[in-house]
Amino acid sequence: MAAPQGAHYGKVARNEDILRVWGIIPQNPSLLFPISPQRPAAVWTPRHPIGTDKDMTNDLEALQREVRSFLAAEAPTGWRDASRTQDDFVRTQRDWFGKLVRAGYAIPHWPAEYPGGGRSLAEQKVIYEELAGADCPRLLLSFVSTYHAFATLHECGNAEQKARYLPKILEGETWCQGFSEPGAGSDLAAIKTRAELQSRPDGDVYVINGQKVWSTMAQFADKCLLLARTSSDGVKQAGITYLLMDMKAPGVTVRPIHQIQGDEEFAEIFLDNVEIPASERVGEEGKGWAVAQATLASERGLTLMELSYRMRGALGRVAKLIRDHGHTEDRGVLRDFGVLVTQVDAVCAIADQFLDNRINGIERMGDASIVKNAYSRALRAYSALGLRLGGMDEQYVAPITFGDLNTGNWMADFMNSYAWTIAGGSEEVQRGIIAERMLDMPREPKGWVL
Amino acid sequence: MIELNELTDAAQKAFPAGSLSPSRDESWGLAAEMGWLMVRLPEEDGGLGFTREASTALHLEMGRVLAAMPLISAQLGLQAIAASHDFAERTDWLERLAGGEYAPLPMLSSKLTQGSDGTVSGTISGVFEGDMAVAVVAQLPGGYALVPLDAPGVSLVERPIWDPSRRLFDVVLDGFTPALMLTDAAGAKALHDRLSGEAQLALAADCIGAAGAALDMTIEYMKVRRQFDRPIALFQALKHRAADMKTRIVVAEALLWKRVRDESASVTELAAAKVLAAEAFRFVTEEMVQLHGGIGLTDEHPCHLFLKRALLNLQLCGNADLWNERVGRQALQT
Repeated sequence: MAAPQGAHYGKVARNEDILRVWGIIPQNPSLLFPISPQRPAAVWTPRHPIGTDKDMTNDLEALQREVRSFLAAEAPTGWRDASRTQDDFVRTQRDWFGKLVRAGYAIPHWPAEYPGGGRSLAEQKVIYEELAGADCPRLLLSFVSTYHAFATLHECGNAEQKARYLPKILEGETWCQGFSEPGAGSDLAAIKTRAELQSRPDGDVYVINGQKVWSTMAQFADKCLLLARTSSDGVKQAGITYLLMDMKAPGVTVRPIHQIQGDEEFAEIFLDNVEIPASERVGEEGKGWAVAQATLASERGLTLMELSYRMRGALGRVAKLIRDHGHTEDRGVLRDFGVLVTQVDAVCAIADQFLDNRINGIERMGDASIVKNAYSRALRAYSALGLRLGGMDEQYVAPITFGDLNTGNWMADFMNSYAWTIAGGSEEVQRGIIAERMLDMPREPKGWVL
Repeated sequence: MIELNELTDAAQKAFPAGSLSPSRDESWGLAAEMGWLMVRLPEEDGGLGFTREASTALHLEMGRVLAAMPLISAQLGLQAIAASHDFAERTDWLERLAGGEYAPLPMLSSKLTQGSDGTVSGTISGVFEGDMAVAVVAQLPGGYALVPLDAPGVSLVERPIWDPSRRLFDVVLDGFTPALMLTDAAGAKALHDRLSGEAQLALAADCIGAAGAALDMTIEYMKVRRQFDRPIALFQALKHRAADMKTRIVVAEALLWKRVRDESASVTELAAAKVLAAEAFRFVTEEMVQLHGGIGLTDEHPCHLFLKRALLNLQLCGNADLWNERVGRQALQT
């Protein structure tokens, strides 16, 4: 055995000096990325969220009681069994959204002039916690309408557009998003769909040609938030224009995408000489990229908090497998389950912390990426353990449930978990954001060509 | 009540990030001077009466500089005595410890037997910086007791460890007669659970602080180390690994703070936070050595201090296998 070295505290040289001795830092450096003498404080300082004051806590508790008593009477039960086909799923979604609109819990993030709006982020968090806790269906069909369409119109739309569209969303008008294209996924600004301004006797129109993909539930949508290119001059972000498209307009063809787990959550949209009145433009022509940022920033943290708590609740499905398969004294299985439980608890903690920080007005670059990667990896681990414990049983096809990530159909859940490491900014894109924006690592030089 | 961030700032000023593994004895003097030994002692006992958030913030900072000064063991030993209201010499000992004497709680389990004459023999393991100690707080067969190191039948043996940032000792008992009982056998369980939970949080904080420092150092290195005419920080494959290191730390830290603030959390739940933190620390330091390349293999560079501290922390107060199994068992029952 090698002789242990013994303690050498008090004798450690400074890192910079060691690197200099070893020639890793040149003697006379003209460094591109110099060592910072002291780390930036923001990286280090542990977050101590400011405590909420007493009045606020009381108000939140009152809201919690109110939502609980509503859910005790109205929370849908058996919705999973009623969501075995896409059509049934859409029906349960519309019913539940309507009920929540009437109860005042569907759009807590909207301004106070709308019924059920004007809720603080802390209040929104309470509502979502309760909805998750009561295992209600997630609001999927109305998600793009109440978040993306709302934020876009509220922040960038003109008065007429707001008056025309926002009330209709509460009546159930459904929106989809026409952003991604076959050649523009992570690199969204590379879109090629063309919009050409033409005169018509009853006003100017944009004529649209192109193809959109990965549009969530576009097959059920009435309207579409569309990004199209009005110019190819200059940087690629500059020529993008933001339009509101009627999905029933001539030339719009929607084809659902059959996913590997049997769901059809996304669709392709083909655009063939579709005419959109110029009055349906949001913001100025060529300034659509900035509008798109409002769309994309519309939901920051509530969904992942809700999903994390739903996964926490669904750990019971894994526990049931362990019991059903007689593994309750299998220490290896118990350990693996324990690792998963802690992983899911930690995801709940980080999702909570992210939201609490936002409630206190703190948000830093990359925080959201960490929450997303932590959640999507935990979801993979959760479904992978279920799949493993389920064994051969899971290889026989069983009915899937639309609109749920933790269904207990472990093959479907496992495959569905890939949607979370890929969609909404892939895991790799998030890693890049964490590295470059949080850790301040250098970005690749512009115009890097292979 | 001092703000937590003030405590953190004071710690960062006293122990600057650039000076790793500072002298143990100087650190101890500094910590005693700033009242850190007393942060958790109730005010009526002459302490500062801070919450466990405060001790967590301090242990984070001590992990960050790889402190050898045994603040965790010292605070826990002090808490054990403070919690023992039936102990006749409680006040005397609290005063002595407040003055800078050291009576640690061991971080590993003991192997002890009680003879028919009531004397105790065997080994108390996991005593950090035992050469500084005047006594150890140990769970003997008859309950928790203070074991003075100068008592008959007590000897101290250093157990060389791979982690050079700390030193570890065994206290060997051979016919030791306990005199300073803190609890009886019945009261030992409650005290053990309380101290165990506190120890888990403290170790988790040490891991998170040190892991953050390891990541910072690795990123700095990647920015200055040039190969193929560019800093290696520019390679996407390496950037993504750094991002995963950051993610592991931030997520484990979030669970730690949540459990620190959850007064109703069970020992198992507190231990889960430690296991996640220690595993994150291990992951980060393994990556640290790899990403530093050749220099990471040298004794000269501090990489190995982080790696070895991580691997030792994993073993303290119950290892990952033990606690993961318990977490799984507990979740199965709820």
